[in-house]
Amino acid sequence: MTLETRNGNLYYYRSVRDGERVRKAYLGAGEIARIESEADILRRAGQEAQRERERAEMERLEALAAPLLELSEVAEVLARAHLVASGCHRHKGEYRRARGAARSA
Amino acid sequence: MPEARPGALELSPNARDRLAELGVLSEKAEAGDKDARKELRRLLRSSSAEVIGRAADIGRKAGRTLARTAAGGDPLTEEALFAKLDAMRVEIAGEDPTPLEVLLTERVVSLWMLTALLETLVSSQYRKTTGERKRSTPSYLLQQSRILESANRRYLAAIRELARVRKLQATALPVQVNTQVNILR
Repeated sequence: MTLETRNGNLYYYRSVRDGERVRKAYLGAGEIARIESEADILRRAGQEAQRERERAEMERLEALAAPLLELSEVAEVLARAHLVASGCHRHKGEYRRARGAARSA
Repeated sequence: MPEARPGALELSPNARDRLAELGVLSEKAEAGDKDARKELRRLLRSSSAEVIGRAADIGRKAGRTLARTAAGGDPLTEEALFAKLDAMRVEIAGEDPTPLEVLLTERVVSLWMLTALLETLVSSQYRKTTGERKRSTPSYLLQQSRILESANRRYLAAIRELARVRKLQATALPVQVNTQVNILR
């Protein structure tokens, strides 16, 4: 967004993407241009603050979830180790008891 | 073998090394290496107690942290959620669980809490906005939904894993693990 001065007058434009091209859209001149420009600045600051809040919230959520994701991985390694040690083997992603393995200890 | 990410679980470096070793030995044993299977049994007997106990304990703490977050400072809700988690532990672990079952139960319970918390957070974003609160951006909603989806997937996988371990443990040779993990009853 640009606030341009031409021959001492203020003009306010906004860049608009039109397919491959970017063109300037005229928004106003004089006092209206200044008001529009300041409103845009405020709007952008608000959007940036919200993005920052959301970023912080996402970081908090990820921090909350991290120990559980790691717990999942640890549990998977241990479960696999126990099953393999107990004589099970994997067949097409499924663990099966090895042929001939005892049914009771 | 999952890549070790330091920090989250606060497992000791020794426990992490043992986990990595267990992962490698499991792979070799699955590929038919009999010595690896023997070594895997020995290592499980000597070391899985610490890892299981520690991971189950940290999982329990993580579950309580999530419950506290979900309660949002309301002591009654917090206590109700703690009680709910304890009741789930008892119900899922069943009578006389093995340490591995306790760990897998802890995983199911804490992932349930995470899924419930995320579902609440995501659904609250779709409510009509009032006052100062602004509607969340689509990218934020998308990220939240992805975390929820991942937690939900892990939660279901955890249930399946527990069921599978139970089924196979009931028929396979047991591996003795000399540890005791107390669950709140």
